[in-house]
Amino acid sequence: MRISGRDMLALSPALAFVVLFALVPAVVLFASTAAAAGGLGGIVAIVSSPLNVASIENSLEQGGLSALLAVALGYPAGVFFGRYAFPGRDILRSLLLVPFLLPSLIVVFGVLDLFGADGVLSSAVPWFGTFGSGLPAIVVANLAFNVPIVVLFTSTGGESAPRDLEETVASLGGSPGRAYVDVWAAPTWVGAAAGGLLTFLFSSLSFAPPLLLCGPRCYTVEARIWSLASLTLEPTAAGALALAMVGLFLLPTVAYLALLGRLRGASGRARPRRRSVPGRSVVGVALAAETALVLGSVVVLLAAVLDRTLAPIGSRGPASAWVALFSDATTARLGVSAVGLVANTLLFATGAAVVALLLGIVLGYAVQGRPARAGALGLVLFVPLLLSPVVLAVALAEFWRPLLGGAPNVWILVIVSQSILALPFALQSIEIPLTGLSPSVREGAEALGASRWVAFVDADLPRVRDGLATAGLFAFALGLGEFTATNFLVTARLTTLPVALYELADSRLFAVADAAAGLLLLLSLAVFLAIAVGGRRVEL
Amino acid sequence: MSSSEPLLQVTGLSSSWDGRPVLRDISLTVADGEFFVLLGPNGSGKTTLLRAVLGLEPPDRGRVVLGGVDVSAWPVHRRGIGLMFQDPALFPHRTVYENIAYAPLLHRRPRPEVDREVDELVSLLRLGGFEDRRPDQLSGGERQRVALARTLAARPRLVLLDEPFASIDVELKAELRAEFRRVLGTRGIAAIHVTHDREEGLFLGDRVGLLFDGRLERVGRPSEVYAGPGSERAARFLGYNVLTGPRGLEAVHAADLRWEAVGTGGLAATVVTAGSVGREELVVVRTDAGDRAELRRRAGSAPLSAGDRGGVRWDRSIPLDG
Repeated sequence: MRISGRDMLALSPALAFVVLFALVPAVVLFASTAAAAGGLGGIVAIVSSPLNVASIENSLEQGGLSALLAVALGYPAGVFFGRYAFPGRDILRSLLLVPFLLPSLIVVFGVLDLFGADGVLSSAVPWFGTFGSGLPAIVVANLAFNVPIVVLFTSTGGESAPRDLEETVASLGGSPGRAYVDVWAAPTWVGAAAGGLLTFLFSSLSFAPPLLLCGPRCYTVEARIWSLASLTLEPTAAGALALAMVGLFLLPTVAYLALLGRLRGASGRARPRRRSVPGRSVVGVALAAETALVLGSVVVLLAAVLDRTLAPIGSRGPASAWVALFSDATTARLGVSAVGLVANTLLFATGAAVVALLLGIVLGYAVQGRPARAGALGLVLFVPLLLSPVVLAVALAEFWRPLLGGAPNVWILVIVSQSILALPFALQSIEIPLTGLSPSVREGAEALGASRWVAFVDADLPRVRDGLATAGLFAFALGLGEFTATNFLVTARLTTLPVALYELADSRLFAVADAAAGLLLLLSLAVFLAIAVGGRRVEL
Repeated sequence: MSSSEPLLQVTGLSSSWDGRPVLRDISLTVADGEFFVLLGPNGSGKTTLLRAVLGLEPPDRGRVVLGGVDVSAWPVHRRGIGLMFQDPALFPHRTVYENIAYAPLLHRRPRPEVDREVDELVSLLRLGGFEDRRPDQLSGGERQRVALARTLAARPRLVLLDEPFASIDVELKAELRAEFRRVLGTRGIAAIHVTHDREEGLFLGDRVGLLFDGRLERVGRPSEVYAGPGSERAARFLGYNVLTGPRGLEAVHAADLRWEAVGTGGLAATVVTAGSVGREELVVVRTDAGDRAELRRRAGSAPLSAGDRGGVRWDRSIPLDG
């Protein structure tokens, strides 16, 4: 792939955004860290401290275990979605993204509500309490997020298997098992591996689960960086660990992007397939049962959160947690009312969505019909993926907060951080339909005298409006639930629902926190419904 | 199977998709070594019929008997029926040799026998020198020849060809279909060839079946089917003009239709459009009864233009049903 100067110019708005608000702050952070630590030796010494090494080990343990289990549980269900027809398949496939779009804290609350001290399942069968805290609880929370992602990726791989070749193998005498080995095992495992790697990355860098379900002994690198930067105020140590983290997760991130590219390439070439009916084979029935069990568990986890919001506080009536959430006492504790929390959350999410959408449109114009630019776009998206939310927040705060005039303008950084974190995922929703678009309508408009930009707006954009709407909603949903970076940056007056949720839980006000979690869940589900209405298909 | 018994016997095959009938009570037979062509417009159910015969899409009703054995409930890989698509569907990561040897190795035939078989097919399909190439190093026609060799290496009793020449250049197409016909004939393998190209179907088939809206309307030798299309839609599909003449609905070949000046008889008609096609003039007319027809006139006649009035006359026609 050769990227020309004009390609770079066309991509410059997005590049400038990522460079100014991610790359430069991160490089400055790492450079100042290296200077303060006294060079590489100092950084190595900081990273080698027992607590930092433990956090790296925790990251690898939690990430590795979660990824292996997510693939083991998600692969059969992914095969089921990719190869079988059943009522409501398309809507269910869209639903797979719900856990991914949900704030991490909600899933953590789901784990506590099911398996915690007085959880629904642990109260009935004490053995379930095993999953209420420590490593098992963290892994369960990670799985609730990530198994659906593995299912989604595996199903995309299964759908991309060449149908004609598979049928030809059967006609040549190859059994269904042989067709699996020779034709469709590879694409499904490419999907599962991509999902597994994403699970590894998300779980290794998870923040809320170790914080609320275990404590310092389970801190991941991400949680440890936050602790160093916010609690013990050791910015050099935080920066050194952040640098080590980028190095540590560079390889899995590159591997993930490579697999994703392969999966999307195969998916783009795939012809629609007629799917089998599961009831016609033992394998189909078994896969259906496994899928129902795995996805049913995720639904139960989320339902537990909603159910808990209706539980009375002490002798007060049902839904008293909701009353408490909107009470003056809660407002006084948080420094902002519940209505204000919702307003702040919606404001930041809207900002993130608008930024992602505008960049998406400009990038769409830049990459239309130009594979080299689409490839370069992948590189642009690569940077935010590599920076975890806490590292991004620390870098932004260090570099931009003084330049923006301190606390009063920190809202800009919240929007910037949310949009940067949402960018890699939201832009996929625009790029995928745009790269698959036939250029004839646009070329026709150009032949009629329209400029390149006007032709793009008149001919291409209307044809990818679903992708645009999905990208905006996706960024909005991710902004809605973003906790890690926002928690680091935000001031009390601008607190969002996820941040308040953590503060309430940290203050042991679990009932009110449950109501806040319920409110956040309902908001997220409303966004998801907006994505699903009209059959919009979302890809990661 | 006795020698008089057909190789393939399909009886009462019906199939539907989302409640809409796609195949309606299809019955047909194919003899050993016969090249049977299933001819019909797009969406008529040709591919669905092939997929039902192969077992890829179980029909709602009906039986498929192969070599005297009812295989209706058999899985695809046990039926011993070969399949070829428009897309050759070769393994992209395997060489020509490995693609052709796929089925024999799958069935654990001894290696020397597999080598012999592949060599023979390579020579039969003129693929010598390509054995070590991968599919992306071959032309479209070469890929289709490899696909046929791979199908034949599985030693099927019947081969289903689903428009395998549809994406091949016109020049190569004629050569390739003759080659396919020759190779299958040499090996005595029966085939059902699906196409919407009437010329291809009439040229290739020992027998031809006309399929419309999931119904097999007419089966016979190409000359029989062409000489007696039966229904109006079959006649139109075979390229006839359908006109309401003195004997009711009649199929008239374009070459048998003449344009006459006003008042000289024939069916009164108006020229819709006319233009030169090489040495001939192609004229599209509409009769006062509303029938559309095409005819060809020799160059040199006074050219016609849209709106000209006159009449059409013919001496030879085929009466149609209804």
